[in-house]
Amino acid sequence: MAEQRVRVRGLSIHRPIIYGNTATVLTPEERKINPSPDHTHRWTVAVRSAASAPDSDIVGGADDLSYFIKRVTFKLHETYPNPTRNIEKHPFEVSETGWGEFEVQIRITFIQESGEKAITTYHHLKLHPWTVTSDGQIPEAPSLETAAKMGPVHSWQYDEIVFHDPYQSFLNILTAHPPTPLPKIRKKPVPFHTANPGSLEASKGGVPEFTQEMEKEEAERLEIARKAVITETDKWRAKLIEKEKELELLQRQIGDV
Amino acid sequence: MAASAADVRSILSLPNPSTPGPSQTKPKVPGTTERSRKPEGISRELYSLIGPSAPTLAAQLAKPRLKQKPNLGGGGRVKWEWQSFKNNGRTDSLHLSHWTKAGTDPEAEYTFAKYNVQPTSYVYSQDEYNRFLEDKEWTKEETDYLFELVREYDQRFYVVGDRYDFPGGPPRSLEDLKDRYYSVCRKLVRNRPWAGDESSKMQLISSFQFDKEREVTRKKYVASLEQRTPQQIAEEDALYIELKRLEQTERRFKKERDELLKTLLGVESGLPDISVEDEPPVNGNGLHIDTTTPVTGNTRKTKKRGVNDVDTPTSAGPSSANVISLGQPVQKKAQSAKSAQYDAQHCIHRTDANQTTSNKAAHTPVYFRSYKLPMLKNPTGPRIIQVLSELGISHSRLVMPTRENCARVDGLVEATMSLIDTKKCVDKVEQDIQVATMRLEMANNTGGEGGEGGAGTPSAMDVDEDAEGVEDDDGRAHSVISSRSTKSMRGRKQSQRRSMSISSVDTSATGSMPKRRKR
Repeated sequence: MAEQRVRVRGLSIHRPIIYGNTATVLTPEERKINPSPDHTHRWTVAVRSAASAPDSDIVGGADDLSYFIKRVTFKLHETYPNPTRNIEKHPFEVSETGWGEFEVQIRITFIQESGEKAITTYHHLKLHPWTVTSDGQIPEAPSLETAAKMGPVHSWQYDEIVFHDPYQSFLNILTAHPPTPLPKIRKKPVPFHTANPGSLEASKGGVPEFTQEMEKEEAERLEIARKAVITETDKWRAKLIEKEKELELLQRQIGDV
Repeated sequence: MAASAADVRSILSLPNPSTPGPSQTKPKVPGTTERSRKPEGISRELYSLIGPSAPTLAAQLAKPRLKQKPNLGGGGRVKWEWQSFKNNGRTDSLHLSHWTKAGTDPEAEYTFAKYNVQPTSYVYSQDEYNRFLEDKEWTKEETDYLFELVREYDQRFYVVGDRYDFPGGPPRSLEDLKDRYYSVCRKLVRNRPWAGDESSKMQLISSFQFDKEREVTRKKYVASLEQRTPQQIAEEDALYIELKRLEQTERRFKKERDELLKTLLGVESGLPDISVEDEPPVNGNGLHIDTTTPVTGNTRKTKKRGVNDVDTPTSAGPSSANVISLGQPVQKKAQSAKSAQYDAQHCIHRTDANQTTSNKAAHTPVYFRSYKLPMLKNPTGPRIIQVLSELGISHSRLVMPTRENCARVDGLVEATMSLIDTKKCVDKVEQDIQVATMRLEMANNTGGEGGEGGAGTPSAMDVDEDAEGVEDDDGRAHSVISSRSTKSMRGRKQSQRRSMSISSVDTSATGSMPKRRKR
């Protein structure tokens, strides 16, 4: 057992996860039954594995993450009864009703073998449908009726939890559970993300799914941007060199005078 | 080869004499011509000796089967035409003609135009020079001069080395020039943001590799090779032959010894299994151990004997070491291919273990990948964010913050920083230019007034007229200088004036842009 507590140096291992929420508009009937009649939406905030299970109607969640996550703590708005919700087993999610968007604190605690502290992130609970703000202005959120017609709202962030130099025992646990790889090609809609406003159209029409295509697409976007920056730099450098020559000439002339 | 009389006759197609040569006898028989034709693959002389009663073997002596000659586009007649063509590789409008096959499109691109590749000439800004290219052996002026020459002579360094004459500079050898040129190129490539991927950058850098020491040594060596006397060459050859002979003798000796030992010890000696090739000769005792250890399988025994006998471990050692050194790389390779797949499946990324162990105390705790995105807090941060948002990239959030994508963001931010730095430098130089122009104008105004009496010489005005035509603001000032200078020493001033007018055109071409924008 002693050698199990040895860190495996020079190795980092990550697990792809997603966190975020899904929200649907409550029907009038549901609102009547609901103890808080001002609530307009039902939402689920969750931490899941990135890949979606085949034929599932949720985003992600193909793998049970409890093999390395001990607990996920969702800290809701203070107006909710006991706002700190500890979820100790799969699925790590909280479902509630509400009327407003707010910041959810998500704290992930790992199993003891990991020897790691908990990590925290934030998710902005998204209730209203995505709208493109291409001109920089925030358009009016559509009315509840239109929002209801547009179907559930999805707001998910992909991320990777990286363990550096893990303990041998923890590494063994992790390698015993290889994550389901993301599908290579897109079959379902793309999860919308504000960093890629262009994906709005592709995000419509059903439950989205994370794919390797998205990663490639983003890599391409970054690469294009980098090339653009570099061509721009080259242009400016050429200009700079030209200017320097000009300055040199001027200075020589001043010297001559 | 001497031709027989019959041959001569047959060449000259003369009738046969009454006493025919041996070669002519048989073919002359009328009915047998069909059969007696020389089968292929037999030389005429041989055939004439053995005659048509050639053994069946002769038939098998077929012509050696060579590859069939390739059929290069049929033997049809090709028509050629004298056509003029356009060479896209030319910058001038010279039109040349050449012979082409009839039917080629005269408008088609010239096939050799693509080989007219212009070498990329590297230029650097003052800022870049100050940051990366400082060298105490070289001034910036001399480096500029070198780069200008290299560009002018298309990187033909022998020409560059021949023409190189920097006034006031130390004498430079060809290697000095190459070393400086390549080192500057390397540094530029390394420090500038690179549009392609890492491997192509490495490739380019390695193409600029130049080892001055080695080149000098190489040339020295070649020179010394050339300067050997015949005696020395003969001696070297003799020594080489001697060496070869010694090696051969040694090999033979070894082989003989092995054979002898085999005969002495029998098959169980185990000798064929052990590669004796590069082992030192062992004495009888050592060999005895070798033979016994596999049988008993007792390692302790060998150890014990090893203490007693110094030779035993050496005799056993190399052979076992050989086995290991042969076996390991193969194993390792197979492992790496397999483990890469394994790592990908389990999302494992391995770094060099030695690097991480150096700072053992600092353990990086678990983190979200996206939290390692660059924090843009330094003074240039807001500007970087602005540039990135113009490109439609969010600096703080990624859709898929994988390791590769985070690294890409790093690269992007780095490139953006250098863009901003360059822009800053341009701003600074532009300001300097403005200051300098103003100073120049002021100096010229005062100077112009002082020398007004001399201005107005017609010849001076002629020379500078073109400059003035292009120039609005600065041109006048220059013309004043030059006109003033024509007063004395005509010959010398003429050239100076010309350079003046050229320089003023230059500045007008480059300098008018920012000014216009400012207005």
